[in-house]
Amino acid sequence: MQRRGFLKGLAGACALTAVGVPSVTLAAKKKPKGPNEMPYKKALEVITHGKGAVDSPKVKLVVPEIAENGAVVPVKVTVDHPMEPGNYVQEIHILASKNSNARCADLFLTPENGKAYFATRIKLGGTQEVVAVAKLGDGSYVKAHKSVKVTIGGCG
Amino acid sequence: MDISRRDFLQIAAAMGLLGAGGNLMAGHKRADEITATDIMDFKPVGKVSLLHICDLHAHIKPLYWREPSTLISAPNLTGTPGFLCGKSFAKFYGIKPGTLDAYFDTYLNFESLAKKFGKMGGIAHIKTVVDEVRRDRGRDNVLLLDSGDTWQGTAVALKSGGEAIVKAQNYLGVDVMVGHWEFTYGKERVAELIDKLDAEFISQNIVDNDPFSDNFEELVFKPYTIKEVGGAKIGIIGQSFPFTSTANPKRFTEGWSFGLRLDTLQEYVDELRKEKKVDCVVLLSHDGFSVDQEVARKVHGIDFILSGHTHDPGPKPITIDGTVIIIAGSHGKFVGRLDLDIKNKRVVGYNYKLIPIASNLIAPDKKGIELVDALYAPHDKELGRVLGKTKGLLYKRDTFYSTFDALIGEAIHDETDNEITFTPGYRWGTTLLPGDDILVDNVYEMTAITYPEVYTFELQGGKIAQLLEDIADNVFNANPLYQQGGDMSRLTGVTYDIKIGAPGGKRIGNIKVNGKPLNPTRDYVVSAWGGNLQSAGKNLRESKIRPVYDITSDYIAKKGTVNVPNKSNVNVLDVKCGCPKKGGLC
Repeated sequence: MQRRGFLKGLAGACALTAVGVPSVTLAAKKKPKGPNEMPYKKALEVITHGKGAVDSPKVKLVVPEIAENGAVVPVKVTVDHPMEPGNYVQEIHILASKNSNARCADLFLTPENGKAYFATRIKLGGTQEVVAVAKLGDGSYVKAHKSVKVTIGGCG
Repeated sequence: MDISRRDFLQIAAAMGLLGAGGNLMAGHKRADEITATDIMDFKPVGKVSLLHICDLHAHIKPLYWREPSTLISAPNLTGTPGFLCGKSFAKFYGIKPGTLDAYFDTYLNFESLAKKFGKMGGIAHIKTVVDEVRRDRGRDNVLLLDSGDTWQGTAVALKSGGEAIVKAQNYLGVDVMVGHWEFTYGKERVAELIDKLDAEFISQNIVDNDPFSDNFEELVFKPYTIKEVGGAKIGIIGQSFPFTSTANPKRFTEGWSFGLRLDTLQEYVDELRKEKKVDCVVLLSHDGFSVDQEVARKVHGIDFILSGHTHDPGPKPITIDGTVIIIAGSHGKFVGRLDLDIKNKRVVGYNYKLIPIASNLIAPDKKGIELVDALYAPHDKELGRVLGKTKGLLYKRDTFYSTFDALIGEAIHDETDNEITFTPGYRWGTTLLPGDDILVDNVYEMTAITYPEVYTFELQGGKIAQLLEDIADNVFNANPLYQQGGDMSRLTGVTYDIKIGAPGGKRIGNIKVNGKPLNPTRDYVVSAWGGNLQSAGKNLRESKIRPVYDITSDYIAKKGTVNVPNKSNVNVLDVKCGCPKKGGLC
């Protein structure tokens, strides 16, 4: 069940590569570089055009509680929203609150994606919040956030 | 004041100590009166019995195992089940001093009670209890479920690559298990051992993570099993230790991904209920007692969680949002008996008892004694060698410090001439009474792991402080989901202050190395084992790498008699005692 969901997600991602302009940026460098690389607060402002995003149960964010490897942390985002022409999830953004470069992935979707689902792996420089922001059909922004602990490891 | 058995039952009932079932809790009786019949005394309910063991840590022979005299947690969890010890434990569960339960569940009067009641556990004694329940209830109405940490912890386990313990499980008749330290034998060996194992090995939270594998994103083990017992369908979901790949070396489970995976857990619970139409959903778990209480809050529809990992004796079940959680201590000290009354496709009643495996009171099963002898025979000469004697109590469990760990630290320091030793805060090991001989076997009981190498290297002062904060955040996190379930790493050569309730990264201060303030820019010579610290250091002394059990054994043999002070090197600033009650009261 999980695998099927995951494959669907991949298919979605591939489809949008063909039609959209996805830019997947891996972050966690020391100094922000380039126009898309910025700290969390600024990134959220730019993504939402200053509107901000409200927490919503519509955004389902799946991340591990404790990262097995901070360099490749799996992230899955699903947005519970129709995908019909005129009313669909237009964008999904994945951010890491404390990476110096907070923008991990920006996805631009079309109704042809069928389902607002995306899975990827991101790099986390340390324990922090992972945030998923979605732009809905009415132009509003919703988000979900979860903390991921990055640790050298504990004791058995 | 003496109270008769009948008086006790009335008093206990009045105080609500007996739970639904009205078992006589054996430990409340006067110590010298207690018998095996009292230990087994149980009011059966329904037709199904689930027997539960966890964290045997390969102790097929009886041992002494002292519960912690310090068990400190984040302030919000202080005094809750999972963070109780000594008097606060006794008060919470209504246990009287000097009783068998006090001996099994707390550190109070441990040395004198050890002389009175003798050793704990052992598969031959566990078998007697398990067989008694099977006779009482009928073989087909009983399941024996094992929450893991079974294959590792002693020399016989290590030297047989885990196989000795699989034989022990087959002898006991374990039906289903999950894992944690099992995985430190490596993926391939785990597969071989599962082939030899009669029980089913299940886990819903281990997924193939190797993108080049044919099974990428597929489950590694069956997520659940359905057992028909006593006319009921019991769905058992497996939850192995979620943080195996961070707590233990990654190389053993390369290509596997762990985690709590509560979303898929919820899906399997729903699948068992709606599609498979089971009468009862059980989670067989190695999450840890504290984590499982959080799981019960987040996942709906689990009837029972049979927990493990954190080694808590749980004399009474706890119920959270309709889910009942039990946990059966460690080192073979207990068997949990859970009777289920199932009517109209659901659980309508249950009774639970944590049965103490008091080896002097329970007659051992003859076949078990023979099996233990056979498993030890190839190693008897080596493991039975007396290395020396201990003047004081050698124990393992405490939040910051233990005498046996201090002895290991001393031994490593003596060999490597380092400035600091890190010894892991595992919760398994052994206990030796004052005056006891120390055998090679005992040293293995503290150190028998598949990655025993002691590494000596240089680590910068600032990094040492950061690592301590990192470890403290895994132990004292206010959110149980971020706890990894061990005690704090033990340090030799270092003293420090800790404020448990301070925010992560700001708990530790006043760090001194051999009496002098830690210099954040200086490199220190550090030895460490059982973890991953060497990867943070530099200038590894390759020629000095040696297994911790050899270093420790040689040191004890050299000293003859050891006398380790029972004085912690850690000063806790915001908690006044080792076993606080709720609200941080002492």
